[in-house]
Amino acid sequence: MLICDEYLTPASLTEAFAAMAQHRGRYRVVAGCTDTLPWAREGRAGDVNIPALIDITKIPELNELRIDERRVRLGAATPIQRFLDDAALGHALPATPRCAVWFADDQIRAQATIGGNIVNASPAADITPCLAAHDATLELASLQGGKIVKRTMPLGEFLTGPGKTQLADGELLTAVECDALPGYGGSFEKVGHRRSLVISVVCLAVLVKLDAEGRKFDDVRLAIAGIRPIPRRLREIEDFLRSKTLTGALLEEAADLPLDLVQSRTRQEYRRDVVRGFLMRGLISAAKRAGAHPDGLTTAMEAAYG
Amino acid sequence: MVDLRLEATVNGRKISRTAKPHQRLLDFIRDDLNLTGNKEGCGAGECGTCSVFVDGVLMKSCLLPVAKAQGAQIDTIESLAKTGELSVLQKAFHKAGASQCGYCIPGMVMAATAALRINPFADREEIKERLGGNICRCTGYQKIFDAVELARDVQNGRLPATALLETDTEDGEVIGKNVRRIDAPSKVSGKLKYAGDMTMPGMLHVQVLRSPHAHARIVSIDVSAAEAMDGIEGVVTSADVPGQDGFGVFVHDQPVMARGKVRYVGEAVAAVAAEDAMTAKRALAAIKVVYAPLAPVFDAEEAMRPGAPVVHDYAPDNITKHIPIRVGDVEKGFAESDLVLEETYSTQAIEHAYLEPEAGLSYVDPDGVVVVVSPSQNITHHRHMLARIIAKPISKVRFIMSPVGGGFGGKEDMIYQGMLALLAMKTQRPVRLVFTREESIISTAKRHPSRTTLRMGLMRDGRIRALDMRMVCDGGAYGLSTEGVMRKAAILAAGPYVIPNVKVDTYGIYTNNTPSGAFRSFGALQTAFATESHLDIAAERLGLDPFQIRRINAMRDGATTHTKAKLGTVSLTRALDAAEKASGWEAGSPTMRGGTRGDLAHDDVRPAVSLGARFAADGKGGKQEAAE
Repeated sequence: MLICDEYLTPASLTEAFAAMAQHRGRYRVVAGCTDTLPWAREGRAGDVNIPALIDITKIPELNELRIDERRVRLGAATPIQRFLDDAALGHALPATPRCAVWFADDQIRAQATIGGNIVNASPAADITPCLAAHDATLELASLQGGKIVKRTMPLGEFLTGPGKTQLADGELLTAVECDALPGYGGSFEKVGHRRSLVISVVCLAVLVKLDAEGRKFDDVRLAIAGIRPIPRRLREIEDFLRSKTLTGALLEEAADLPLDLVQSRTRQEYRRDVVRGFLMRGLISAAKRAGAHPDGLTTAMEAAYG
Repeated sequence: MVDLRLEATVNGRKISRTAKPHQRLLDFIRDDLNLTGNKEGCGAGECGTCSVFVDGVLMKSCLLPVAKAQGAQIDTIESLAKTGELSVLQKAFHKAGASQCGYCIPGMVMAATAALRINPFADREEIKERLGGNICRCTGYQKIFDAVELARDVQNGRLPATALLETDTEDGEVIGKNVRRIDAPSKVSGKLKYAGDMTMPGMLHVQVLRSPHAHARIVSIDVSAAEAMDGIEGVVTSADVPGQDGFGVFVHDQPVMARGKVRYVGEAVAAVAAEDAMTAKRALAAIKVVYAPLAPVFDAEEAMRPGAPVVHDYAPDNITKHIPIRVGDVEKGFAESDLVLEETYSTQAIEHAYLEPEAGLSYVDPDGVVVVVSPSQNITHHRHMLARIIAKPISKVRFIMSPVGGGFGGKEDMIYQGMLALLAMKTQRPVRLVFTREESIISTAKRHPSRTTLRMGLMRDGRIRALDMRMVCDGGAYGLSTEGVMRKAAILAAGPYVIPNVKVDTYGIYTNNTPSGAFRSFGALQTAFATESHLDIAAERLGLDPFQIRRINAMRDGATTHTKAKLGTVSLTRALDAAEKASGWEAGSPTMRGGTRGDLAHDDVRPAVSLGARFAADGKGGKQEAAE
């Protein structure tokens, strides 16, 4: 059970930092709370007494969404469900709706936030590999000498291990910026024990951009998670595929590149098989959504991996 | 503690109330507003029994700090049938038989309402996907999906409203007809009160101190500090039992609370009744128990070996029950057989996972009758046992069965009712205990884990000549239903097959694991898993079709079982015919098939799990290519 003496809902960043200063050493910043409340139960943290909970989801700045041709800026308190509800956002970040649909369930997505998923730094987080594929950069804010100071950091640097990040004491994750990739085909592959409310055993985010005829890879971005302490971009495969002509044989070759990706403690063989299957299925689905020419993908391959 | 002033609109009415900062929205609506239609099934966002609308968006109220509802519009299950008339969806749940125990149903109705609000034309796949956050343990979901599709079609005018009405009964005739359950309206509306929804004036809240040890002697229990705390009305331990302590379905080997020693992690040691659950919880921390750890035993076969730790003094060999059955001469049968196969099979413990965690109330009525209200599956037996435990005549003990939010055998044991009765007697006030999901899992019975060695002798034509089975089950720390489970397992060990020579030994063994008890099928699963797996292996070895080998050995009308039961009619061959037809079975021995099966490519075989039905929907009931 999570017990607190005070539940604070600051209406601005300034108020949030004031609350953090006032309760220094005795507070916890919360957003969606979908992980915090189950954490404070028997078998995990048990009964937890935190004097002050500071809920940052009502800060307008943390709920902003800005989309232009090049970049997308998302406030850290953006609920995951927004990737599914906001068509313009899904268009600009094509892998995110595919990822969001696998995230927890419809109800938890309405509450859980992007920032919470990142700061939790679970190796099985679903949104982080997806954002990594979109080249996400994080904006971190802190109060220094009475002024709000911001720094930025790539997502890949921010995450340092399971539950570990470079977030400094007294610092808040305020926004996430990604490359806008309209025209890319996106896909997200995930497997767990069931389809809703499940922790990823393996998950993979895929983004594919093809040339005008849908025959050649202009760009590929891949990020895998669930099998390592932190998500990993698969740049070797991205580089291998870029500028090549899409064929089934090429995809098989890409999926068979000798990369030692699985660092899990259990079921490594199974996960290796899944990774290969996901690379095939993810690339095929993303290429189709990117407008692949029918010559590139045989029906046999689609039946085998689609 | 800084209380919150909460202004919100709940089910259309403005409220302004103080709330505790640590309360969840679920606690606030259930405890403070007494809106108990939405339930708590897990407290961790997994089950969806607590789903409510917050500003029109469905959310899990067990994951929402109440402060998040500030200024919001909250709609609970009670909002759907405010005038008393059920919504179309609720009527459809009634019609389709979608509610069984009913505990998940308020949340399920809410999730279905949300799904059809978002997409009034959602197809079955999309409905499944949108209901993914809600768990049902009874129905297998098909009737729930049927209900949502029915409601969708009525709302869209594809079906007339009369489709929601009962159509099958004529002239009061019900047998063989599709009748609606009479208790469904109370469940789909959330009006039915389960034990955890009930309150009484002056009611106290109970919390239980549980053993952290699997096996330990209790050197001392000191409750004086807990008893002295403000708001604590009573503390009980086994020392408070006035009569003959001990309960169990067959052997009364389990004390109401641990007596002298603890035998599994999670066993109740003491219970506290307080003005509120938080205070009771704090008092638990003030109870001082000194344990002297004993060597534990966690494996049933190890527990059978000489010198193993003894769990109960009355059973120095740790055998709860051994059931032997002998028919004919198995050794002779094996000698006559063309093929003798031996394999070992094991099955694991399984939690019943009913959506309603255990809960109960107890009070002493004005005539001195000790009353216990709980979702017990065995109230008459409980009543007899409790009378002996609290040393009262049977006329002074009453059990009331509250609606059971799923049992599956897991609520047959009198695990907590004794503690409640003792606290009601001690405090002379009504007391209530509501288990958390974690408490339910750690302390109540599981399906018996088993290890079965099976030897079978067969003739070349598939006839079984002999069966020798030895099954060892981990019964855990207490007997509960173990004896009955061992009996049933032995009775069903040879399956519905004619076997001239049978030797069966089933053993229920004490260990320091969570007790095993009744669970749907009651022992049949464990032995049938071994026997049926064995027949598949035998079919492969003999080049027979798996259906065929079963038909060759099937009991027919008038057969006598290996326990001398005379069967009038036997439906096995009909069941085999039906299963073969329904599955689209590809005939032949398992060895005749290559790497692929030809009988998996038909409409009744489920496709691989996927998500994303919503991407293919155009919102008008038709389909279009996924376009983003």
